[in-house]
Amino acid sequence: MPDFSPDDNKLALKVVFYGPALSGKTTNLMQLHTLLNPERKGELMVLETRDDRTLFFDMLPIGLRGSSGLDLRLKLYTVPGQVQHDSTRKAVLSRADGVVFVADSQPSQQDNNAIAFGNLEENLEKVGLDIDTLPMVVQFNKRDIPGVVPEPELQERWGETPWSPLVMASALNGDGVIDTFQVLLNRLYSVVDDEFRLATDHGISREQFVERLSRNSNTEAAGA
Amino acid sequence: MRNFEDDPTLNDLLSNEQLARLNQCLSALCSEPVVLARTRPGPDAVPVEFNLETVGWLSGGGNDDERETAAGLVAFLMMFVAKYRLAANLHHDATEAGYAELQRQNEALKASEARYRELSDQLQQKVDEQVTVIKQTQQELYESARLRSVGQLAAGVAHEINNPIGFISSNLRVARDYVKELGATLPETPTKKDLLADFNDLLTESIDGASRIAGIVSDLKTFSSIDQADFTRCNITSLITSAMHLVQTEYNHELQIVERLAELPDISGHPSRLAQTFFNLLANAAQAVQDAQSDKGPGRILVKTQVESASIQIIIQDNGCGIPEHNQPKIFDAFFTSRPVGSGTGLGLTVARDTVRGHGGQLQLDSREGMGTRVRLTLPIN
Ligand SMILES: Nc1nc2c(ncn2[C@@H]2O[C@H](COP(=O)(O)OP(=O)(O)OP(=O)(O)O)[C@@H](O)[C@H]2O)c(=O)[nH]1
Ligand SMILES: [Mg+2]
Repeated sequence: MPDFSPDDNKLALKVVFYGPALSGKTTNLMQLHTLLNPERKGELMVLETRDDRTLFFDMLPIGLRGSSGLDLRLKLYTVPGQVQHDSTRKAVLSRADGVVFVADSQPSQQDNNAIAFGNLEENLEKVGLDIDTLPMVVQFNKRDIPGVVPEPELQERWGETPWSPLVMASALNGDGVIDTFQVLLNRLYSVVDDEFRLATDHGISREQFVERLSRNSNTEAAGA
Repeated sequence: MRNFEDDPTLNDLLSNEQLARLNQCLSALCSEPVVLARTRPGPDAVPVEFNLETVGWLSGGGNDDERETAAGLVAFLMMFVAKYRLAANLHHDATEAGYAELQRQNEALKASEARYRELSDQLQQKVDEQVTVIKQTQQELYESARLRSVGQLAAGVAHEINNPIGFISSNLRVARDYVKELGATLPETPTKKDLLADFNDLLTESIDGASRIAGIVSDLKTFSSIDQADFTRCNITSLITSAMHLVQTEYNHELQIVERLAELPDISGHPSRLAQTFFNLLANAAQAVQDAQSDKGPGRILVKTQVESASIQIIIQDNGCGIPEHNQPKIFDAFFTSRPVGSGTGLGLTVARDTVRGHGGQLQLDSREGMGTRVRLTLPIN
């Protein structure tokens, strides 16, 4: 649930990157830190890792200001994917306003994807969030690895769900990371605008919301 | 802090001592003293940011450069302090949530345990009930098997005796007529006269005996319709009379039975079961009287019938030994008897009550130890 403090006209939103262990959640966040050039961007906090695996969480704060002076913050979190850190996952997930589910495209990881998704459903329920109304995007990562499950197969498998179409990504190369994030921003905007009238009260349109929060710092460099 | 993710204030990040020490260190590095404070002290102060949040203001120093550099250093330090804080808070949150969850599970476990205990109690109760039913059925089975074998025996005996006793009776009557005729043709002598009179007496006695046998056979026949399942019209008086005869037969006609039998309408019922019930109750009474005989001398059984509103009342009362108070609650228990099961006496109060209930009636028993027992049967007239 968005955290709005009327005193300092500050709205804090929370987006959680969820998924099985080693699917590339931290890599997604690191790429966003590198690639994004939003109006405001804080430090990437990689809290604690062991052998590159998240033990607590990673966090990247970004933000923008509305014409009304609204101080809009977006905090991007990753959860630890390893099974044993479930209580930490739950604590990070609580009060989330949006979720990016990062799945692993490798055939051997499909069971883990399903288990992690089941765990997400379970934990959302435990922290009192409704998976049907929560803004969410599903990303299939590691498309650069040979022999991954073909995209049409994945798209068809998820075709009947509210999260279709899926976003394909290769976080290691930075591909699809911003796309994923933008899909989420779009869905997030609908919900937040409903409640806080971003457009009417704060002069933040959907396009501005998405563009100003996902502005690419390497646009020129990438074009070259 | 409310949640681990809430933006930390300078207070959250540094204690007063730590803040003082930090100020000291920074001042030593700069040409003029430097002060890091929670609120903005003046226009020349620069903000110290952490996570897009201004956590404090830095003032003093020799110039802008010094201030900016010091602020940057503080921000850099804050990052590590905050990381630790965040991790610690998250750990705290997660542990609390885990503990709360554990407690919920514990409560749920307790609740389900209580449910299971209740269920098991109910189950035990059901088992007990079933055991009672089984015991009762067993007893009834035993009773009915006994009744059936007695009934079959009685039917066989009655059938076998019925014919010969018939021609014995009629032959004896004819014989007595012949003796009369023969006597008229013989010369009159005192010896012959005595002989003829004696002969006549013998035959008369035999005819009496034969008709008693015929009576017993007819009583037995009442009991021999044991497998008859359907209700028919029953004459209660004749059923009771048959039962009294049979009990008397068992006791060599020595029982003193006072009959006060009223005129009763026929009712619908199961004759052999009713007869068996009367027999059982009378047998109990006879046994009670006999048990008390050494103390009280020969006893007495009262059998009384009467019509009361829409029902027939049958009272079988004795002044025998009575039933001790502590045994009274148990007398209708399927297996309770003060005498050995199958001894042929004193059995069947349960069966008697079930039979009466099966006829829509009631059986009521009053007894006092040493005084006697009174059984009152009420059967609806229908
Ligand atoms: N080939 C390839 N490897 C990737 C990609 N994304 C991440 N990886 C690698 O996968 C490994 C795990 O990545 P992380 O981002 O740490 O995974 P995570 O989901 O944060 O894992 P946990 O913190 O344990 O939950 C690292 O070695 C990454 O380099 C990708 O798109 N392609
Ligand atoms: Mg990670």
